[in-house]
Amino acid sequence: MTRARVQNALPPIEATLLALADPTRRGAVELLRLGPLRAGELAGALNMSKSALSRHLRVLRESGLVREESMPEDARVHVYSLQRKPFDSLRCWLDEVESYWALQLESFKRQAERTRGPKSKRGRPE
Amino acid sequence: MISEVARVITYVEVSPLDAFEVFTAEVDLWWRRGPRFRGGGPESELYFEHDGRGRRLLERGHEGVFEIGRVQVWEPGKRLLLEYRLRNFATDERTEVEVRFEEQGKGTRVVLEHRGWEALRPEHPARHGLTGESFSGMIGLHWGDLITAFRQHARKRS
Repeated sequence: MTRARVQNALPPIEATLLALADPTRRGAVELLRLGPLRAGELAGALNMSKSALSRHLRVLRESGLVREESMPEDARVHVYSLQRKPFDSLRCWLDEVESYWALQLESFKRQAERTRGPKSKRGRPE
Repeated sequence: MISEVARVITYVEVSPLDAFEVFTAEVDLWWRRGPRFRGGGPESELYFEHDGRGRRLLERGHEGVFEIGRVQVWEPGKRLLLEYRLRNFATDERTEVEVRFEEQGKGTRVVLEHRGWEALRPEHPARHGLTGESFSGMIGLHWGDLITAFRQHARKRS
C-alpha cells in the first residue's frame, strides 16, 4: 500500500475519533442526539458564532458523523442530524479493545483468587 | 454519553489491597502471553519498576526493555492510572489505562478503562498495512500489529 493511499483512505474509526476529540464537536453531537437541529440553533446552544461553529460542522460532516439536509418543506433551511454508522463502527472497535482487556482481567482474576482468595492456602478465614 | 472509552469490569474474591498487589507486583504472572498480548516474544517479562522519578510498567523481551508507560497515579487498594503505549507509537504518543479497585461485599470490583485514542495523530504508523477493508478499519490503529501477524499467519496456511 502506498503512502498516498494511506493518507487518502483514513480508516473510518480514526476519522470518528478525531472528530470526537474536540469538546465543541462532542457538544454538537450530544445536542444532535436529541434530534436534528439547524446550524444556527446548534451555535446558539453551544454559545458560539455560526462562523466559529462552521469549521467544526465541516469536520463532523467529513467524518460522516453528521449529515446536512434541506427540509422538505423549505429547501433553504438546512438541518443537521446524526448518522448511525460511524457510531456503530466506534462501538465495534471498542468491543475489540474490551475483549482484549476482558481476557486480561479474566486471567488476573484467576491469579488473584488462586493465590489470595478464600479457597487458596493463603486466603484468610472469614 | 458518547462512549469513547473501552471499559471492562470484573469481580475478584480478594480484598482491594490484595487485588492491587496481584495486579501490579504479579503482573507478569497473569498478563497473558502470545503476540496479541505481548510484543516481547516468548521470553517477555512484565514488571513495574521505580526509577527515581516514579514507577513505570516495563516489558523485557527479545529486543530489550520497552516502556509501556509511566504510572500517573499509584494508590494501593484504590486506583492505578497508567500511560499505555504500543511499540508502534511515537515517543510522545500514549493512551491511558485506569484501574479502580472498589470494595464490594467480601471482594473487590475491578473497573478498567482504556481511553485517549483520539490523541493519536492521523498519519499514525500503526495504520501501516491497513488496506481499508471494513474489518481492519474497524479494528483501527490499536490492532495494526495483530492484524499484520494474523495476515502473515493466514498467508502461510493458504
